[in-house]
Amino acid sequence: MVSATKVEGEYSFLSKNSHLDQSEGVKTHLYHFGAEHGNDDLKSTACPEQGPSLLDTILLSQWDNFAWKGHLDYDVTACQLKVIEGGINFVGQLNNKWNSFSLKEYDKLFESFRCSKPNSMKSYEGLLLCVAQGENDRPEVAPSASPPKDGLLLIANAYPVEYGHIFLVPAAVNQLSCYWDKRMFGLATKIASEVNNAAFRVFFDSRTHVVSDHMFFQACYFPNPLPVECASTVVVYEYGGNARSDIIVSETVGYPLKAIVFTSNNLKALVNVVSEICFSLHDNTTAYSLLISNNGTKVFLFPQVKNLVIGCSLSTWECGGYFIYHTKFEFDNASETEISKRMASVSLQDSAFEDLKHLCCAIAHDLVK
Amino acid sequence: MASSGAAEADPGEREREREQHDDLHHQRRLASSLTARYSDWVLEALDELPGSFLLTDPALAGHPIVYASRGLAALTGYARREVLGRGARVFQGAATDRAAVAGVREAVRAQRAHQVAILNYRRDGSPHWVLLHLAPVFHARDGSVLHFLAVQVPIDDAGRGAGAPCRGAQGAVLAACREEARVDDDFPCASYSGKVFVDMDRRGLEAEKPRIASDSEKEKAISTANSIVAALNRYSKLTGLVVSGKRCDSVGIPALSSSLNLSLGRIKQSFVLTHSCLPDMPIIYASDAFLSLTGYSREEILGCNCRVLNGPGTSLEVIEEINQHICSEQACTVDLLSYRKDGSSFPDLLHVSPIRDASGKVAFHIWVHLDVGAKHDFNGLTPEVWQLGAVGAVRVAVRGLSASGSLLRPSQ
Repeated sequence: MVSATKVEGEYSFLSKNSHLDQSEGVKTHLYHFGAEHGNDDLKSTACPEQGPSLLDTILLSQWDNFAWKGHLDYDVTACQLKVIEGGINFVGQLNNKWNSFSLKEYDKLFESFRCSKPNSMKSYEGLLLCVAQGENDRPEVAPSASPPKDGLLLIANAYPVEYGHIFLVPAAVNQLSCYWDKRMFGLATKIASEVNNAAFRVFFDSRTHVVSDHMFFQACYFPNPLPVECASTVVVYEYGGNARSDIIVSETVGYPLKAIVFTSNNLKALVNVVSEICFSLHDNTTAYSLLISNNGTKVFLFPQVKNLVIGCSLSTWECGGYFIYHTKFEFDNASETEISKRMASVSLQDSAFEDLKHLCCAIAHDLVK
Repeated sequence: MASSGAAEADPGEREREREQHDDLHHQRRLASSLTARYSDWVLEALDELPGSFLLTDPALAGHPIVYASRGLAALTGYARREVLGRGARVFQGAATDRAAVAGVREAVRAQRAHQVAILNYRRDGSPHWVLLHLAPVFHARDGSVLHFLAVQVPIDDAGRGAGAPCRGAQGAVLAACREEARVDDDFPCASYSGKVFVDMDRRGLEAEKPRIASDSEKEKAISTANSIVAALNRYSKLTGLVVSGKRCDSVGIPALSSSLNLSLGRIKQSFVLTHSCLPDMPIIYASDAFLSLTGYSREEILGCNCRVLNGPGTSLEVIEEINQHICSEQACTVDLLSYRKDGSSFPDLLHVSPIRDASGKVAFHIWVHLDVGAKHDFNGLTPEVWQLGAVGAVRVAVRGLSASGSLLRPSQ
């Protein structure tokens, strides 16, 4: 079946990785994008009747197989969901297994990557597939291949927040960047577009640098639209001169966390503009989260202020309106008021947000011409 | 569509004109019940069909007749425009057996097919026995009822049964009482539509000895019904075909919410979903690929247990293995010999897995079937990867929170 084999007995994702055959090169499903022919427009206009894309099918399949083999800490689909009462429809999940420290565990994993020699990667079962740019017209899959250096690895998160929770990291692990990696962001956005499933969201937390000091993306399948995606928006900048490079910058209205929304059917333009803004935010050491949704045509930017009282900021799914509760009591008593307060406490001040908006408009104006 | 108010110079002439105008408007509104779902040609196609039949729309207030065949006018003496927009009880009269009517009403309420000999009345008031064949017309994809078709086949005098038992009035009253005791909320939409086949004012009148329809009359009713459904399908504008007769077993199999149906409809693999909480785990969803793999139609397979695919040579040990996995809420992949509707068998790579809904509980089981013997093109994927892709997609779809909090259609 898949390269994964069932390991009997107790399985621990991390301990498994610490004693692996170092010499063996890893083989996994390798997915090649179809070649680009100078046309950057997304195929998202394609008829939804076509059914799930090839990448979507492999990803779901590999994830389900991984879960079936018992490699996950828990079955996230067994965690109860509910809509939290109020106008915004925040979603709450009752999950006593997940905790925010599980991300830190992954630091060790990435650290082990960095210590290994370039290109002699360890094999491990969390690896679901590798995605890379291809040369043929149509996307292709090789069932068992070594990941190319310029590929992106899709690794299962054993502590999933939702179904299909994965990490996206560069195949050449020594390339794990401490800085904003535009090429990687481009690949992640391309994956969102190629998966072509409305439930699939890719996200990024700049704050993870604080603990891990390198950059990676995450993704998972949220079955319902996130509350922030349903929030109303007003356009703050619209470039309509050239239909192919249209990009719209908007801001959310009536959502407790201030957010800027970039919408474009032109993947390159979207990646260029958002990357430029992320560079600036890094220079300013502003914490922020990104949510790539709507099949890679929409990016939500959530700038955050450091909250000294709580001591931590919100993860991307929390910015989007999706919250995990560890106890039944917390779950039952979750309220929109409390969540809104938490969001407001990390939301940017009006003047700082105005400055950021102007910056976004200026960058969009400069780049999209 | 009554309108009034303006003073009229030539009341007679104006009145006639307006009546004609209203009449046309009214007819058009009723016809749109059909033309919204089928092409305009459907009316002509139905006109071509022999036999006396009509279509009613349960979604319109009063569950009116929206189509009447040419043959109906010959049989009943009612012109088409005289019955369009009216309830089907127009054909009932003083001596129509109320127990028979209650049976029809119950069938409408439960949305199932029903055949009964019933005493109807022509326009001139003369009674005549007909075999009434009633059947719901479902949208095959989402299982919603679009129309009811009612075929009337006159029962020949010669076919009259000599020793037919006479239904007493008491029995009929009891039947009616039982009906009233039912909670109408079960079928909020059907509760009034059920009543249109009954005329309450006719209560207490003596029922005539029922006549029995011959086999050939029953067959005639069914073949007319089939040709109507065929015509509807030929001119369907809907995304899926319509089906008639039973959507499922006569016990009410719940239909999935339309948003879930839509998500599932995108998935290309051959699979069914079974309801884990209903007795005998009936199939409540079947993908198009499954139907083409097995040869069953959707209305045949819904409501059935997955064992319909078993036959000689299907390993009982493997079936037992599947059952054990189901009991322990585990997924499993097995090799099995399965059978199509036509009796031919195929080597079946079968994956069965529990599917949980937003509450975290197991709501369904997915059964992904793959004919190992056939040639497939999965774009370079192995059959196993292809199969599990469907499982993941179904998990995401079923995990979705719906507005009503239920994955099932509320009215079912």
